[in-house]
Amino acid sequence: MDPIDAELALAEVRARRSQVIDANSIPSWFWRAIGVLMVMFTAAVESRRPWLVAIGSVAYGIGLATTILLVVRQAKVQVRPSLIGIEGFLAIFGFTIVLVGIGVGLGLGLEAAGVGWPATLAVIPVAFGLAVGGPRLMGFLRRLMRSRPLAGDR
Amino acid sequence: MTTPEFDELIHAPTRLSLVSLLAATEWADFKYLRDAADLSDSALSKQLTTLEDAGYVDIRKTFVGRRPRTSARLSARGRQAFEAHVAALQEIVARAGLVL
Repeated sequence: MDPIDAELALAEVRARRSQVIDANSIPSWFWRAIGVLMVMFTAAVESRRPWLVAIGSVAYGIGLATTILLVVRQAKVQVRPSLIGIEGFLAIFGFTIVLVGIGVGLGLGLEAAGVGWPATLAVIPVAFGLAVGGPRLMGFLRRLMRSRPLAGDR
Repeated sequence: MTTPEFDELIHAPTRLSLVSLLAATEWADFKYLRDAADLSDSALSKQLTTLEDAGYVDIRKTFVGRRPRTSARLSARGRQAFEAHVAALQEIVARAGLVL
């Protein structure tokens, strides 16, 4: 077989894999929407007004369900977990742990300092972290998946 | 370690595209494959049947509400054949001294 044809075939394999990876990515607006919903929900709960807690909870539930549904409908195919690999799962886990750590740590610190609305204030940097870090995490995962060997990625 | 083995069945252009798409996915929807590979329904059905007959692809038919949904995935045998084929292509390129 002509080596040029073999290289073209490999390019086709790589292109198709990229096609799957791109079809599977979470859009940037998803992270911003989740951040906004989190801040609104936390503020509603922290207001301690029953009617506001009720409205905030319902709005959060509907907003979260709608957001996830839109992303799921947009995602046409599920990428193989082996493409994400242990580094990818560690990156996702690390991203989550850092945001949770910031939120809980800051919230407890603000409460101990007697600052009003500690949870709401603490969740703002978490929401910002989601909005900024989410797309970066997706970019990292896409690069990681594209860098996997074409054969023997199991 | 994958033993390189050129696979004529996979190497046909349309099937190479399909198998490459399937290699990166879990179950892939028929509609997704049709649109991604830019094929007609009948052309995709024909290629999937060929791959299924070779034991390279598993086909699943389910219902979402009343609508039938067909999905496909690469079988263990198909994945093995695909990886061996890719390894064979890489070997051809490497032997020629082309940059991968």
